[in-house]
Formats: sequence, structure tokens, C-alpha cells
Amino acid sequence: MHIRYWEKLEKDPFGKTGLILVIFFAMLAAVVPLVTQNPTTQTSFIFKPPSITHPLGTNDVGQDIWSRLVWGARTSFLVGLGVGVLSTLLATLLGASAALIGGWYEGVVMRTVDVLLVIPTVILVILIAAFITPSIWLLIVVISLFRWQGAARIIRAQTLSLRKSMHISAAKSFGASTSYILFKHIIPDLGPILVVSFIYSCRMAIFLEASLAFIGIGDPSVISWGKMMRHALNFYYLDVWKWWLLPTGVALSAFILSFTLLSYCLEKAMDPRLDESNV
Amino acid sequence: MRTKIINYAVAFLVLLVLNFILPRLMPGDPLSAIYGEEVLVQMSPELKANLIGRFALDKPLWEQFTSYISSLAKGDLGYSYYQNAAVSEIILAHLPWTLLLMGLAIIFSSVVGIIMGIESGWKRGKLMDKTCLTGMMTLSGFPSFFLGMMLLLFFAVTLRFLPLQGARTAYGNLTGGWIVLDVLKHLILPLTSLTLAEIPANYLLTRNTMIINAREPFILTAKAKGLPDSKVRYRHAGRNSLLPVVTRIGIKLGIIVTGALFVEIIFSYPGVGNLIYTSLLMRDYPVLQGSLIMVTAFVLLVNLGVDLIYKKLDPRT
Repeated sequence: MHIRYWEKLEKDPFGKTGLILVIFFAMLAAVVPLVTQNPTTQTSFIFKPPSITHPLGTNDVGQDIWSRLVWGARTSFLVGLGVGVLSTLLATLLGASAALIGGWYEGVVMRTVDVLLVIPTVILVILIAAFITPSIWLLIVVISLFRWQGAARIIRAQTLSLRKSMHISAAKSFGASTSYILFKHIIPDLGPILVVSFIYSCRMAIFLEASLAFIGIGDPSVISWGKMMRHALNFYYLDVWKWWLLPTGVALSAFILSFTLLSYCLEKAMDPRLDESNV
Repeated sequence: MRTKIINYAVAFLVLLVLNFILPRLMPGDPLSAIYGEEVLVQMSPELKANLIGRFALDKPLWEQFTSYISSLAKGDLGYSYYQNAAVSEIILAHLPWTLLLMGLAIIFSSVVGIIMGIESGWKRGKLMDKTCLTGMMTLSGFPSFFLGMMLLLFFAVTLRFLPLQGARTAYGNLTGGWIVLDVLKHLILPLTSLTLAEIPANYLLTRNTMIINAREPFILTAKAKGLPDSKVRYRHAGRNSLLPVVTRIGIKLGIIVTGALFVEIIFSYPGVGNLIYTSLLMRDYPVLQGSLIMVTAFVLLVNLGVDLIYKKLDPRT
């Protein structure tokens, strides 16, 4: 199936909102940390309410909360993108190769998929992370290793049916080369599945990283929204939560929401029965 | 069918192997990695010999594994040197609270999600549907722990309306109906957070299935028979939209369990989630591993059950 992504996203209010939010957070994560104060500098100005020098005030050790918030966006973005790319890559490689090679290789891959599908991912990641206290890169790898199975199954099924489909045979009969078929037909046909699986993985990884950081699992030197929220909650009896916990939580929720909106819009594009404009 | 059961068995085995191998891969003394640092404080030569014998730590890896599995099979999840109690007892004391919280959240979130999904899907494109859809989309972005924090800060800290934490008032000396009331009062906020976090997924799935079902010929037949709208909506379209939702609840139990875990942490609710959290902080590995094994076993068993029931409900699969 070929989808005009841009047209779908632009027409759909949900898709548009999601896209704008993602771009906003991308800018926030990429550019803003370059111009903020050092987020780790501790000062004697503790628990200060928002002011011009500290747009979101300061925390219990006098660090500027606004600069910690934008650095936290970097962490979330990195984990989301990392897991999105790595898990989609794993899914494509394993799913497509299983379909193309077949035999005992396919059996082994699909058995692994079946087993991974029933394992509760979060519990497994907590268990592993509790022992190895992963750095951010290792966390990306660990999450991805338990996050490719669903997409791999769909990709295998699609590749199997694509191999036998008419337009591929037609292209072959016109003398198209393998690479031409791969890039002009197979990849665009798998495209929507890859994009949706990428978005799902991003969303899940951002959520999982924040949750793990919230319960104290993760690299202690990395600034993470989950960790900030946990830390801020310790001072619930002060007013600081209004500019410490609230903006952080809203940022995290809005970031997760943007991926939900994008995936909902694209799902609709893939299943026309759900599309309002076709009623 | 047999392959399904084998899948679940292999999944459980993978978790057991990880549970076994991770502490033994840690640098340093395996005893402290298996039991946590606390054991070193109480360590005496006799205790050390006892512990080494118990896990066959002086034997090759394979024998260690078989002794680990055989003690698990006897229901022995190990001993916590922080709490000076058997791990299985500790978990059993925390389990009822989690089951209460999770069970009620599942019931409420599915009832609300399904009803809203049916109504919204039936009136697709109308103002009510659009409002519901936008609201639910927004809600689905909020992680359960952030929802919990907001409720906590608003109702318990700012309004001082509901209790801040725990499952019962300590030293309350309450009797009879007051105990129930006290438990309910403590339950409201954690339950609301978990329910709110679970509604959107049920709503969205029901709505999608409703939209697809509403075009089926049997709906046209039902309408043509002159049945009232509410009957077509619930008895015909709604009923046929239930199956995927019920399956989802079973399959996604792992997600609900982890949601409960985080909500319990926010409200210091004394369930298994909070137990996992405190054992993580204390590096109380026997309790951590024991709880994770129990939770996984529970999730896998329920999923298997759902798979088996589904076969009966939908003979096509």
C-alpha cells in the first residue's frame, strides 16, 4: 500500500497536531539546550519561584529547572529515536529475511517472535535494568531487543504476500532488476507498516524510559523527566510542584501524546474503513 | 493449541533463566548479588556455609540451576535478609491490595470504555463523538503515574479531602463498617488514576470495532426488522464489538499490572508494585526477583486462559 503521508497528516487535525508537537519538541531538544544555563550548576538560590533568570524557578539544590527540562527533552528524544530506529531495523531484517529464506531459519525466528510476544516487556526490562544499571545507550539496546517481535510478524506476512503479488511479477516480466523491485515496490509497500511500528516504538520507549527513571532505574548522570518528577514529588508539601513537577509532567504527556496522534492518523490511512471522510 | 502452551512455558523459562543468570553475572561476591548487601552484615561462617549449600554455589553452574529450579518448584522463593521473612510470605501479604486495586480498575475502565466507545462509534462524526475522541486521545498521553500525582496534589495535598497514602489509617482502632469505609477512602485516588489511565485504550478499540461493525449487513437487517435504535446499538453492534475488547484486556494484563505498579508507588499503596519499588531501592534482590516471577507467572497464566477461552468464543481462530 502506498500512502501520501504528508497529505494524510496535513488533512487530519489529529495528525497535524501530532506533527506540530513532534517538531516543537525536536526543536526544543536540539536547539534550546545550547542557549540555556548549565543544568547541573548548583547555586544557593533554592526553591525560587519563576523569574526572568529562571523561567521555571530553581530546585532544592538551586539548579535551573527550565534548563533541566530542555535537557530532559534530549534524553527522551534520544531514547525514542534510538529504540524506534533499532527495533524497526531488527523487525525488518528478521521479518523479511524469515520470509525470504524460509526453512529452519524461519522456524527459529518465528518461534522467538511467539515467545517474546507473550513476555511482559516492562517486567523483563525492570529485572535486567535492576542488575546492570544501564547507561542510556545500553537501555536503548535492551528495550529494542524486546520490542521488535510484533512488527516482525507483520513484516514477514507482508513480504510473503508481496513476493507472490501481481505487480511484482509484472515488474519482473518487464525486466526490472532486484534492486528496482526492492526500492520501488517492496519498501514503499512495507512503508506504512514500518512508519507505524517506528512511531509505536518511539512512544513506548519514551514512556518506558520515563517510568524506569521514575522508579530510580537508569544512568544517574543523565537528566530525565521521570527522575525530575520523582524528585519533585518529594517536596509535595511546598508550592514548588507548580513550576517543577507540573511542567515536566505536561511536557512528557504532550510528547507521548504527539506520537499517539500520529499513529492514530496513519492507522486510519491504512484502514480506510475508519476514515471519517469516507462515510 | 499445544504450541501456544509451549510458547508460554518457554517464555516463563526465559524469565527464570534470566533471574538465575543475572545475579551470577555480577562482578564480586555472588552471595551479595543474590541476597543483597544486607546479608553481609549478618554473615557468620555457618550462615555462609548454609547459603552456599542452599544454592549449590560451590558446584558447577548446571547443578546450581537445577537446585534453583527445584527449590522454586517447592514454592520456596528465597529469604529476605532485610525483612527477616520468607519472600513468599512477604509477597502474599502484599498481593490482596494489588488484586483489589487492579480488579476494580479493570472492571470500571472496561465498563466506562466500552459504553463510551459504543455510543461514540455509533454516532460517528457527530459533536459528541468528536469531543469524546479528542478527550480520550489527550487522556491517553498521560502516564498513569503523572495522573496519580495530579490527583494526589489536588485532592490530598491542596484540598486535604482524601488521605495522602497507604491503604488504611494506621492505629485507627476502627471497627466493622468503618474499616470498609477507611479502605475505600484510601482506595479512591489510586483506583481513579489507574482507571483513567486504562479507559482510553478500551474506548478507542471499542469505537473502532463499532465503526467497522456498523457497516455489516446484519446491522442493516436488524434495522430493517424495525428494532429500536438502542437495541441495535447494544444487542447487535455493541455485543459484536465486545470480543476484541475482552481479548485486549486479557492480553494487555501486563500493561495494567505495570500501571498498577506505578500508581501504588505514588500513593505508597502497600501492594506488590510498592514492594517491587522498595526492594529495588533497598537492593533486596530476593524480594525483587520473587515478586517479578510471581507477577510474570500471573500474567502468563491469565493470558493463556484468555487464549483458551477465545478459542471457544470465536471458533474461526
